[in-house]
Amino acid sequence: MRDFDWRGWGQRVAALWRSSLQLRTVAITVLLSSVVVTVIAGYMSLSLGANLFDASREQLTRTSANATLAGQQVFDAADEGLGLEDLDIMLREAAGVIEGAASSTGGTSYAILRSPNQDGARVPSNVQSQGLASDVLISPELRETVAASTDKRTYWQSVALEQSADGTVHPGLVVGSTLDIRGAQYELYLVYDISDTQDTLVVVQQTLGLGGLALLSLIGVVTYVVVRLVVGPVKLAAETSQRLAAGELEVRIPVQGDDVIATLARSFNGMATSMQQQITRLAALSQVQQRFVSDVSHELRTPLTTIRLAGDVLYDQRESFPPATARTAELLHTQVERFELLLADLLEMSRYDAGAVDMETEPTNLVRLVEEAIESLTSLAASKGSELRLVAPGGYFEADVDPRRIRRILQNLISNAIDHGEGLPIVVWVDSDQDAVAIAVRDYGVGMTAAALERVFDRFWRADPSRQRTTGGTGLGLAIALEDAVLHAGWLEVWSDGDNGSCFRLTLPRTRGIELRASPLELPPNDDIPSLEASDD
Amino acid sequence: MNPRILVVDDDTALAEMIGIVLRTEGYEPFFCQDGALALDAFKSAAPDLVLLDLMLPGMDGIEICARIREESGVPIIMLTAKSDTADVVKGLESGADDYVVKPFNPKELVARVRTRLRPASDAATGTLTVGDLELDVTGHEVRRGDTKINLTPLEFELLLALAMKPEQVFTREMLLEQVWGYHYKADTRLVNVHVQRLRAKVEEDPDNPKIVMTVRGVGYRAGSSA
Repeated sequence: MRDFDWRGWGQRVAALWRSSLQLRTVAITVLLSSVVVTVIAGYMSLSLGANLFDASREQLTRTSANATLAGQQVFDAADEGLGLEDLDIMLREAAGVIEGAASSTGGTSYAILRSPNQDGARVPSNVQSQGLASDVLISPELRETVAASTDKRTYWQSVALEQSADGTVHPGLVVGSTLDIRGAQYELYLVYDISDTQDTLVVVQQTLGLGGLALLSLIGVVTYVVVRLVVGPVKLAAETSQRLAAGELEVRIPVQGDDVIATLARSFNGMATSMQQQITRLAALSQVQQRFVSDVSHELRTPLTTIRLAGDVLYDQRESFPPATARTAELLHTQVERFELLLADLLEMSRYDAGAVDMETEPTNLVRLVEEAIESLTSLAASKGSELRLVAPGGYFEADVDPRRIRRILQNLISNAIDHGEGLPIVVWVDSDQDAVAIAVRDYGVGMTAAALERVFDRFWRADPSRQRTTGGTGLGLAIALEDAVLHAGWLEVWSDGDNGSCFRLTLPRTRGIELRASPLELPPNDDIPSLEASDD
Repeated sequence: MNPRILVVDDDTALAEMIGIVLRTEGYEPFFCQDGALALDAFKSAAPDLVLLDLMLPGMDGIEICARIREESGVPIIMLTAKSDTADVVKGLESGADDYVVKPFNPKELVARVRTRLRPASDAATGTLTVGDLELDVTGHEVRRGDTKINLTPLEFELLLALAMKPEQVFTREMLLEQVWGYHYKADTRLVNVHVQRLRAKVEEDPDNPKIVMTVRGVGYRAGSSA
């Protein structure tokens, strides 16, 4: 569960990352700047720390040297005749002087220790500040170095000072030097608490960190603003081109100023304008052409009516003509009829092209419609030796269709099947589910090649030009059928297997407005028709 | 005497051809090529039927149709090049009885003409009543009380068909066959438009019909006799 949430979140971020140029640019800029800022701040912090420590150490060593000098003077000025007991007192006096001379802001402790391995009286004894853990703080190595020195200079070492009050550790510095008391060598150690230097360094580091963060956010904001300035117009251009693509041909990008973006906007607008002109010109052309086809069809009708009447009058009297004239009258009659069908289909096609078709839907029982279509074509089928059969597991309800158009589709599909059915039975399937109703017309004749299948709905295309047509098709039938199906928001599909015949399937939504997802009938068709074999004998 | 038919069409070849067809069938044709002259031609020829092209120079076929209807119930058959446009409905609404779509064949035309000119049904004689209307079948007259209602022959036939079988519900297809003589699927708008025209004349309130009742989803029937 938690894993899934993480993944979802990750995917959201990834999607945002991919989709937002702004986010990407700002993130990369901030990341790179933070690397630079970290390096710079780190370097500055290190070098400042070193400088501060050096300065503080130098100052403290100087202070120590002065203190050592002051202490030494106390002994040098002392009376030669002082007893050993007095030396103890004098040492304490000197310690007071040293402490005063070596006082620092962080607090100072001292220790005056007699160097080991010396002969003579062990007087005066060692003194040190109260609470100073001299054994811990003053390392043997330092003591050795100081004890061995002869040049009166100072030696130092960094130490950690544990505070007895709260247990925290402050940085410290131990400075060692030598004192000469009546020929005996003593070592003077001054322990300084340099936590104030450390505090200064922390303040500087904090300032650097805060400054870096402020700089980074400033860089982020600046990048965001700059990217916005550039991405904004690009986004606008993208939106505008989307609207253009959606058909709003008059939209343009507002042009501001004279920069690169303005140039982009101007050339985009120029492109849109020329596109709009082209489209408008083409639309007008196509309208003119459709209008022309429609006008031609209409204008042809009056002379065609005259020809038709004349032809029919001659045809009715053909028995009284000599054989050649009689045959001429017959040819005239049939060809005028064919011409008329062609004209009607052409006119219908031009209506579709002009988008000037109206559906007149009414509740229609498709099974009954199919029965009617089969009945009207039975005699034609019989003349070719085909039997028309209806298999209707479903479809017994009133669907919302234009019965005239569906009847036309059926007439066309069934007469095509008769034409190509080779005298074998033709099966018309009707079935339905809760969304759709489907009609499939299956023949077992010659079938079509794959190339033919692709073109079967093309206008004036014929599967086999040499094939004799008995049903007098115009070559527009399937094209019109497809348009009729599309008008119903339906599908008209075809399947064919070279030698095994073809199947045309019409799928229509039960009520208008339903979007088709699947057809109740299968394509390629299910050929399990028990009655098919049974009726062959 | 042969029935007289006025052919109003601006295409002389077609008009002449229609004339030949009509003459062969024993009708006497008259011609008019200009819409503006059609009404005069109608008055002088006094035809028994008018074949009217819808697209005419001078005056629109629909206009002519309405003008003829103002003074006569003579059957009018429109000749139209468009089968599915609003023009057909407009023509029917302005009083045309039937229409033929170009290109038509002679048989189709003659069948339409013959149906409109056939003598009224001999099956019934005497008087029938529908609602508060009285139909004089022999005299082709409809009265409400003492008021005579003028119906065209087609409207009378439509009403008569319904009145003769008051118990029967007529589908539009049945009426198309009985009144218009169509034996195959025809345009049901013919029935719809003429029922409306009939109601406008015979109903006291056409929105609330009492004579020609609609049976939803089926068709029409005559109102019960009062």
